[in-house]
Amino acid sequence: MAVIEVKNLTKIFTVYQKEPGILGTFKSLFGRKYEEIKAVDNISFSIEEGELVGFIGPNGAGKTTTLKCLSGLLYPTGGVINVLGFQPWRRKADFLKKIAFVMGQKNQLWWDLPPMETFVLNKEIYGLSDEKFKKVLGDLVDLLDLSDLLKVPVKKLSLGQRMKCELIASLLHSPQVLYLDEPTIGLDVVMQKKLRDFIRDYNHKYKATIMLTSHYMADVEALARRVIIINRGRILFDGDLTSLIKKHAPYKLITLVLKEQVARQKFEKLGKIKKFSYPEVVLKVESHLSNKIAAKILENFPVDDLNIEDADIEEVIREIFQSQNE
Amino acid sequence: MLKKYFKIWLLMTTCVSQIAFLSRFGAVLFIIGKFLRFGFFLLFLIILETQTKGIEGYNLWQVIFFFATFNLIDTLPQLFFREVYRFRSYVVSGQFDFFLTKPLSPLFRSLLGGSDILDLSMIFIAVGFIALSATRLEGITGLSIISYLLLIANALVIAMALHILVISVGVLTTEVDNTIMLYRDITQMGRIPVDVYREPLSFLITFVIPVGVMATFPAKALMGLLTLQFMMISFLISGILLAASLAFWKFSLKNYSSIST
Amino acid sequence: MPTSKKLLEKSSNLKMNKYFQVAKNTWDETVSYRLNFVMWRIRVVLQIITLYFLWLSILPKDTTFLGYNQSLMLTYILGTSLLAAFVLSSRSYSVGDEINQGNLSNFLIKPINYFLYHFARDVGDKSMNIVFSIFELTILFLLLRPPIFIQTDPFFLFLFLISAILALLLYFFFNFLLGLVGFWSPEVWAPRFIFFIVITFFAGGLFPLDILPKSVFTVFQLLPFPYLLYFPLKIYLGQLPLFEIFKGLTVSFIWLILMYLLVKFIWNVGLKLYTAQGR
Repeated sequence: MAVIEVKNLTKIFTVYQKEPGILGTFKSLFGRKYEEIKAVDNISFSIEEGELVGFIGPNGAGKTTTLKCLSGLLYPTGGVINVLGFQPWRRKADFLKKIAFVMGQKNQLWWDLPPMETFVLNKEIYGLSDEKFKKVLGDLVDLLDLSDLLKVPVKKLSLGQRMKCELIASLLHSPQVLYLDEPTIGLDVVMQKKLRDFIRDYNHKYKATIMLTSHYMADVEALARRVIIINRGRILFDGDLTSLIKKHAPYKLITLVLKEQVARQKFEKLGKIKKFSYPEVVLKVESHLSNKIAAKILENFPVDDLNIEDADIEEVIREIFQSQNE
Repeated sequence: MLKKYFKIWLLMTTCVSQIAFLSRFGAVLFIIGKFLRFGFFLLFLIILETQTKGIEGYNLWQVIFFFATFNLIDTLPQLFFREVYRFRSYVVSGQFDFFLTKPLSPLFRSLLGGSDILDLSMIFIAVGFIALSATRLEGITGLSIISYLLLIANALVIAMALHILVISVGVLTTEVDNTIMLYRDITQMGRIPVDVYREPLSFLITFVIPVGVMATFPAKALMGLLTLQFMMISFLISGILLAASLAFWKFSLKNYSSIST
Repeated sequence: MPTSKKLLEKSSNLKMNKYFQVAKNTWDETVSYRLNFVMWRIRVVLQIITLYFLWLSILPKDTTFLGYNQSLMLTYILGTSLLAAFVLSSRSYSVGDEINQGNLSNFLIKPINYFLYHFARDVGDKSMNIVFSIFELTILFLLLRPPIFIQTDPFFLFLFLISAILALLLYFFFNFLLGLVGFWSPEVWAPRFIFFIVITFFAGGLFPLDILPKSVFTVFQLLPFPYLLYFPLKIYLGQLPLFEIFKGLTVSFIWLILMYLLVKFIWNVGLKLYTAQGR
């Protein structure tokens, strides 16, 4: 049974615009121009229990708006949402006790107080028993390796430490559905990896259903088997990462290291040259021809080393967005 | 249920108080400022009462009683609903999103999530002056004391309804500060008995924006100057306002457009 | 060389342009928060109404109170509120926050005078206030038809204007000084809160100060506060003898000089601290 079921979801925002200058100022004082923006435009998908789905799209594509509709923050303009059998916007306590929303750019911790104060408050809000609170907190603190920071005021924590505490605060009630909106934003590479590992472990260990948005393809590649790509409020692709590449990037990259100089023109017939700086050459070739071409190269050129790789996922997605925007 | 909410209120109030004491210097200055404002206006009233024929026929102690009662009704909501003053920052920073995704009434969280115990000192002053001036008043009966307390409770219900309206506007427009200050300024008109104002203003601020019901009626009831009819109207007004504000709150949540960062 | 002269002219023009733009942006900024702005104007009107009706009730027609008849008193109340829109409105409250949050650095590295920048903001803010105050008072005037005293003597009007400008400058420095608290403490709002309460009382925003006992009033006259509202209004009402007017103008001018020197001094001390900490 699907945990998250979305049918024809649409969300429209009304925004006003101000013209520059004093005249515009007066105009905006007495009458404003409003414009309707379709943040999410008739999208449908469903997610099974325990799935970890990556939600990808450029800024303003509608990712966050969708997550906000799914968590009940926003009242949908049209369509039906069903999460764990609830309509999110009703915000029934039983529903809210089963979900969590982590936003990388917003924080729920009390800025001037140690994170422990927020944890205790959340314990009461979610009505957790003492034993359960202690156990879950202990587990999470171990997983995130954080024990000595619980008594330090939040404002003194680094961004990475703060994000870990945000995660703990959001996970204390062991939610079945977890929305992660840009959880790794602003973190350094090491911390990004740590958080990624944690999310994967959490998904396995607790069988939680997770939806993740991120700017960093590395996050999505490392975590999600399935991705939903969204742009301008519409879904462009929904499926496995591998089939995404098959569908949208029917080419592979052949990287070779030459033993001696070869004229550039000689490669041009074989495929598109992506890089040519002796001794390295990178060629872009159609997938089904890749083996043949590789064989040809090995036959005809003085090659030291040869590699066939899938297309770079980030580039594939960039191409999808570009072709759509044109 | 009630126990859970009380416990959470206590927890949050402790948190807020801890933060308030982090900036003791500022907190003390704010209290001093409030005392000064109280003192200056009291002085002003005393000058007026002693040097002129008086305000609408009320004697000095009656005017002080009105003023002290006003201060009680003005300060109690500030003490309990302190979060309303921070509400804008919650909406703008997106923290309000967390209020909504928790199994705790967002209305409760937005109104009562952290009370300002510093305001207690002002409450003591107000109660002190109420007691002091009450001993100089005539016509106090057991019944009038009960009416006084009931009408004060009624005033707090009205104050709550108006605070709910303020944060609902905040949800819709992210603008809170001036609306709450507007509320404060309108209620400031109740520092003196609303009989002073001429029609149609007097009617407006007695019943429509019920400053009169909130600040003047309780004191009048204690002095035995309020008929039963007007008491009933007072309760009716608070009931209507509360229902309307709750409906508006629901409406505002439906139209909430969470700010994207 | 005509071209270089032209260039020179242009650059001095640019210099003024810079501050004009600041004032204009402040004006724009105020209106872009439409609801806030309207609400705030309503608040101002409410404050006027409260005091107006209080005095109307205390002073019926044909009675006088310590030298004020109804018309003079109501003129005083409405007059101080209009004057307050001109004198007691200021944007330099942001000085404290800018220092605290380190935004001051953005100004220090730009070829802009921080004092003039804030003064330009004030001008933008004040001009906005004046426009709306006149608008509101006209409506109030039409609705209430108060018996207002109109000063027609150009000499008094001129002196009134002078004293109002002195008041404006004096208040600017007070406000700026309160912002400089930010160099030493993050609590920039609390002192301002107290200051504002003290000001509205001591400047004569609640009532004309000369209804106070004579001894108290004499002391008040030596303080800078009465020169913000009370003193200009008294000139307007024509109630002060010439000697008193010049005495008052002198006292407020001396305060202005003192405040200027004080602000300058504190600013320099604070700035040293600020740059030393490298915020």
